[in-house]
Amino acid sequence: MLEGVRQAQWLTKTKLVEGLPPAVQGIMDNPDLGLQELEERAKHAVSHARLWDTAEVAPRREQYCPVLFENLIHICRLMSGKYPSLSKRMLSRNCRIAATWERESTLLQVRGLSGILMNSKTPIPPVASKEEILATKAHVLETFYPIAPTIDLQEVNVYKELNDTGFRDGYPYSHPHTLFFLESANVRTDRFRPEQLRAKMLMFAFGNALAKAKALHGNDPKVLEQPVVVQSIGTDGQLFQFMVFQLNTTDLVSNDGVKNLVWIDSDQNLYEKAQCVPEVKKGVVLVRKTWEMILEMLPFHLGWGFESWHRAATGFEPAGGTRSGHWPHFYLSRCF
Amino acid sequence: MARRPRPRSRRRRAAPPGISYRPARPVPPCPRHRRCALAAPSGVLLVGRSPGARPRCRACPPVAAAAGWPLGAALHNTRPLWKCGQVDRPLPCPAGRLRVRGIGGGHKRRYRMIDFQRLRYEEGAPPEPFTEKVINVRYDPCRSADIALVAGGNRKRWIIATENMQPGDSITNSPHIGRMAVSANEGDAYPLGALPCRHADLQPVKSPPGKGAQYYSSSSTCGVLLRKVNGTAIVQLPSKRQMQVLETCVATVGRVSNVDHNKRVIGKAGRNRWLGKRPHTGLWHRKGGWAGRKIRPLPPMKSYVNLPRVKAMD
Repeated sequence: MLEGVRQAQWLTKTKLVEGLPPAVQGIMDNPDLGLQELEERAKHAVSHARLWDTAEVAPRREQYCPVLFENLIHICRLMSGKYPSLSKRMLSRNCRIAATWERESTLLQVRGLSGILMNSKTPIPPVASKEEILATKAHVLETFYPIAPTIDLQEVNVYKELNDTGFRDGYPYSHPHTLFFLESANVRTDRFRPEQLRAKMLMFAFGNALAKAKALHGNDPKVLEQPVVVQSIGTDGQLFQFMVFQLNTTDLVSNDGVKNLVWIDSDQNLYEKAQCVPEVKKGVVLVRKTWEMILEMLPFHLGWGFESWHRAATGFEPAGGTRSGHWPHFYLSRCF
Repeated sequence: MARRPRPRSRRRRAAPPGISYRPARPVPPCPRHRRCALAAPSGVLLVGRSPGARPRCRACPPVAAAAGWPLGAALHNTRPLWKCGQVDRPLPCPAGRLRVRGIGGGHKRRYRMIDFQRLRYEEGAPPEPFTEKVINVRYDPCRSADIALVAGGNRKRWIIATENMQPGDSITNSPHIGRMAVSANEGDAYPLGALPCRHADLQPVKSPPGKGAQYYSSSSTCGVLLRKVNGTAIVQLPSKRQMQVLETCVATVGRVSNVDHNKRVIGKAGRNRWLGKRPHTGLWHRKGGWAGRKIRPLPPMKSYVNLPRVKAMD
């Protein structure tokens, strides 16, 4: 998509809010949830993915990106002892999504494999209040003349307007919860840039939400009483993008009226650098091989029912100093 | 991602008369014929009919008659169109001998499909003035000028960039000739009849109309619109030769980009080899009458206009 998130916003009739929702931020900053033991696990997870899991010098992105994802998901699953509702989730891969909608006399559709989808038994409650939803009526969608909003979209002949969540009726875990997108191609040109990745996340989150809304409330375009919320996380192994999407209306033909909402927290570094080969300068070893990893001070969120923890930056430097940071925070989903 | 198979080494054999190049492997149809199945046309290879010609599919008519154009997906696919043809190798003439020596080798270049016809309308769009936005201006290995990626409506295309073109600029393309001359900004494309006669720099001019730009697309070149006579326009080429074309021919205002191209220093023999120029002898030899600067009068004005002959009144 040429214009990235702005184009995706027009196509999905969405208003963008920078940063995560305040309710989520509040849970994130809650210090009662005890995360010290997770800090060590997280370090091991990143070390395993980036340094240890290979017979070669350094693992390639195709290898370390999925391994990192699996490790982080495993850490989150460990908390289901404390919070039993976390076990009422399931992960599905290669899930086909189909959603069709009309946008100002253009028929648009999202089709295809939507990454890794986590489903839950109960839906996520709406993040934005009624006042915020009604306030989006005043928002004007951004257009970018002379470029049409449908640029870079593939033109196909549509024979069937399909809306399909990918699961049959009666499946217990039927509500889409979080989507994960891993950009694990080795070559940089095959990967999505962060801006394009955010646009892709927005489109697929919207597709999943729309398909679920049409399955629940029918195909008629209307403002939803119970908004559908879908979260999304995209990463290329180091940079993480977090997104919460709330579908408020399926009436997408006109530009007026209630709009959907999206909160995006972009470009969060999990770690600064993973050094696999010792860096030698003028015969002096500056950074030792393995076990050396410098973690960033930036918060690292992991969306598994929105458990996330702020990471402290501690580094094993050859000089032996450790930087002290604030304790990592941890919060869980609000679905219990 | 699977790598593209490298072309097998071609044994030089005497080509039958009339054909100067024949590809050694079957060529898939060009994207123009597959417009309805618009996946990213990965691996599409176009064939050049003759050395240096713009690549075309075998079944495809010449560029002037082609109504379709590779759409946006073709410009940015992950496996871009490789420059086809054996332009980097010495090309045999119909007799099977080398006609031009000193060509060969050189770095591999990815060919960007440049749209030389500025007034190419989108499918279903009316023939009216339209605006486009410059997305990116970048280096092109296949020419001395820079190229600009412009987007308008639902499509993107590459065009030759003008001197001061920056990302974010808006350029206008218009076919109308009004009664008054238009004050054109740099980068806009208007018919010659709509432009004022001045030392306005022009670059690519389509002659005849509809054919696609043919003149001065090299870096830092420009032409001058001298005068407009009777439905035709007289344009001066960079070689100071004058040319008469119809006033409906479209020209872009501004000098071609990469103005300091002639001031670059090659620096070493290896850089010439990277550019595909093989070493040749005769540089320090005594030369005859064919070499050196020639001072001669300008050739007569070239007219591309078929004016009806004026018969003497009886």
